[in-house]
Order: sequence, then C-alpha cells, then structure tokens
Amino acid sequence: MTHVIDVQHLQKLFHQEVALRDVSFSIKKGEIFGFLGPSGSGKTTTIKILTAQLTKNKGQAYVFGKDAKEMSKSSNRARFGILTDNSGLYLRLSVEENLSLYSKLYNLPNSSVKEALEFVNLYDVRKKKVSQLSKGMIQRVTLARSIMHKPELLFLDEPTSALDPVNTQHIYNGLRKLNEMGTTIFLTTHDMSEAETLCDRIAFLHKGKIRAIGSPQQLKKQFGDDTITVELIDGSEHCIENCKDEAKKVYDWMRSGLISRIYTNEPTLGDIFLQVTGSDLI
Amino acid sequence: MNFSRIQAIFIKDYKEFSRNYAVSIMVLLPLIMAFIYNKTGVNNIQAYFLPINLAFTSVTAFVQCCLIAEEKERNTLRSLMLSPATLFDILLGKSLLVFSISAVTVLLSIFLVGYNPGNWLILGIALFLSIVFYTGLGTLGALFTKTILEASVVILPIILLFSFGPFLTVLAENIPVLKVAEWLPSTQIILLAESLEVSYTLSDVLIPIMTILIWTIIIWLSTIFLYKKRMVD
Repeated sequence: MTHVIDVQHLQKLFHQEVALRDVSFSIKKGEIFGFLGPSGSGKTTTIKILTAQLTKNKGQAYVFGKDAKEMSKSSNRARFGILTDNSGLYLRLSVEENLSLYSKLYNLPNSSVKEALEFVNLYDVRKKKVSQLSKGMIQRVTLARSIMHKPELLFLDEPTSALDPVNTQHIYNGLRKLNEMGTTIFLTTHDMSEAETLCDRIAFLHKGKIRAIGSPQQLKKQFGDDTITVELIDGSEHCIENCKDEAKKVYDWMRSGLISRIYTNEPTLGDIFLQVTGSDLI
Repeated sequence: MNFSRIQAIFIKDYKEFSRNYAVSIMVLLPLIMAFIYNKTGVNNIQAYFLPINLAFTSVTAFVQCCLIAEEKERNTLRSLMLSPATLFDILLGKSLLVFSISAVTVLLSIFLVGYNPGNWLILGIALFLSIVFYTGLGTLGALFTKTILEASVVILPIILLFSFGPFLTVLAENIPVLKVAEWLPSTQIILLAESLEVSYTLSDVLIPIMTILIWTIIIWLSTIFLYKKRMVD
C-alpha cells in the first residue's frame, strides 16, 4: 500500500535541545494515524516539519513520496489541509467571507463554501462575524476551511482541545466522514479516548522519541496481561488467566450462579503510555 | 502568480480595512493637514510636500505595517502561507489595497494643499515609485514585529524620519552628517518637484527618480528575503 507519509530517523534540535530524536513511522493512504504525547513531546514539531514550516536536522521526511521541504510549493499545498489550535481566522469578517477567501485561493467553485459549512453543521451561522462565535464554533469553521478543498491528507493538531463534548462529537463525525471519502488523517492529541475513538494506529511520543506504535488493539494486547477478572456475588474478585485450565473454574462458578460480573483486564492507552514512558499523558 | 488569488486577498483586505476604524482613520491625517496648510496660505514646495510625505508614511507605511502585523499576531498570515497562494500572490494582494488607498490619499492631499506640479507625468512616476517604496517599508516593518502594538511602535521613528527628514537638510550646514538626509526618498521627491518648477535638466529628473527606485528595490528585496524566512519557524 502507498505511504502518504514516510518518516525515517527524524531529528530536530532547537539550539542544543532535542525536540525529536530518531523518529520513524509511516502512514498508509486512508489511515487515521494518531500521535499521542504530552505537551512538548514533539507532536507539533513533527507536523511543522511535514508541512515545510520547519526544517529538520537529520533523517528523512517524505509526504506524498516527496521530500517534506517540497510541501512549501503551491501545487503541493493544495493537496493537504491543516488545522492547528491557533489557525487564524479573520475576526471582522463573517464565516462565509472567511471561507470565500480560501475557496478562491484554492480555485474552488462558490458552492464549496456551502458544502464545507454544511459539513461542519454551521451553514445557519454563515452571516455571523467570526468574533461573535464560540470557541467550539470557531474550531469548526477552521476545520471547514481546512477540508473545503477535499485534501488528500489532513493534519490535525489537537483538534478538539478545549471543546465541549457536543462540539467534540461534531468534529469526530466530520472527520470520520472525511476519512470514509478517502482523506488520510494525521492527528496529534494528548486525549487518549480521542485517539482510541478515531485512530487506526497510534504512536506514543515522549520527549521527542516514539516509545510504542501500533493499532490500539495491538498495543493493548502487547502490553496487557491477558487476564479476566471474575467478581462473585459474595464480593470476592478472582483474576483468571485466559486459558483452558482456568475456564473450568469459571464454568463451575457460572453453573452455581455465583458470578456477579466478568470483565477483561485490558489496559487503557493511558496505562500503556505510563508503562512505556514512566510518566502520565498530561 | 494568480490574478484571482490576488483579487481575493485584495477584497478580503478591503473588508477588513473598512471595518478596522483604528487603522482606517489614519487616512484622514494627511488630508486634514493638507486642508489646514492650504488655509494658512503656504505656497512653497517644502510645505506642499509635508502632507504628501505624511501620506506616504502615516497611510502607506503605517497602514500596511498594521495590517500585516495583525495578520501575524492572529496567525492568519501563516494560514495564508500554508494555502496554495504563492509569495507574490500574497505580497501583491496585500499591497494592492494600501497602494490604491495611498494613491487616492496622495492625490487628494495634492488637491487640498493647492499644489499644481510643473510636470504631472514626471512627478507621477516619482509618486508611484514612492508609494511602492513605502508599501515595502511597511511590509518590512511588520515582518520584523510580532504584534500590532510592536509594529505601531516600530513604525513611529520611520514616520518621523521619512516625513520630517527633509527638514534635517536645513541643519546640515551646522551638522554635516545630516547631509545624508538629502538622499532620503522624501527629500529626493521634493528636490524633483522643485526642479520641475524651473527649467530642469535630465539629471535633475533622473537622479531623484533613480534614488527612489534604488530605495524601492533594496526595500523590496529585503522584504522578500525576510518573508521567505518567516515562512519557516
């Protein structure tokens, strides 16, 4: 399968401080890939290198099979969209005027503004000035702007930070729809549930280094202990290995009607992050 | 270079400018000065050019500087840079509005102050080049700064130097180092205008125009260089 992004041994230094060290990963076409890490772990730096806003010190970074530096070219910029928490909008202009500008910059038909606003469910507020919108709405307008040209690749840097659950759900639905239409998504977040909800694969980034990479299920299997807990009606809890011998014990309890609850001891992504980095994801 | 992108940026800038009273009010400054000067009955080139040079600095350079600094502060400039618009689309689109406003303000100032140039064509070339120069100067000032507040502080000495620079030449007899003020574009345009009032030679016309042209080229090359640097963190 074609790799939309391919990063090998990437290193970035800010003065003498290492922001990224030996980072390697690749993203397949149509994938939603999550970069999980606490603030300052190098997530935004990676996006900036991939979108030619920063230069790397060592390693290779390819986007659409081209050196990431080439993403500064007009023709390549039309192929990706980007949403960051400080993506600017013109506050004195209406929602529609903001998007109209970008529809012309991307040489899109006028109908693209309506389509994009309907996509993020904001068509009704199109005449409102951006300065009159809530933070959640602004974030959705910014998302509309970054997807209106139907990019092949979408970079999302903390797309739902500081959004309420309703707005977050709106964004998730939009992203899933977009992904179904073929857009590859590179998402950075420090929200584990967001990564688990949206991503096909995730990488844990800590202090500029990738500590683990895989699908949420793979990681849970890799770092979990493959046991289940059986809670009996007398309140006692029994940790049972997921194997044939232990199954008989569970069967007997079930036959005697002693079981109150059964649940897997699957680790959360937060547990895994703690396990591989030794620190919390905050 | 893409005309529809340039036009889109121009229209956006016009809407923003017309709703940004703190900046758009600056247009009135040279017009009021020109009107007052006319009423006081001044009739020499130096005085005529005070509101004209003020239009270049307080409208062309200041407005351009504030508009771009605001884009930087709100991260909208970076968003533009990440769109398919090229360096020239953005710089031209962003300069076109200020150029148009400046041209109208300068012409109105000339009319209000009661100045009737000896040769409209030659002075027109110098005025055109000056507006291009001051637009570049405003852009450069904004690219150096991070916020509107910073930009409006940075632009103040520029306004003072270029508006009142020609008066420094009067002091040059006592302080020879001030003779350099003769080479400011604001002084050169006055020298040109003075020549146009009498019988002038080719060098009387060429030297001021070439001087302003050289300033314009230097300022725009520096602006393009800095803009490219600002595209990358």
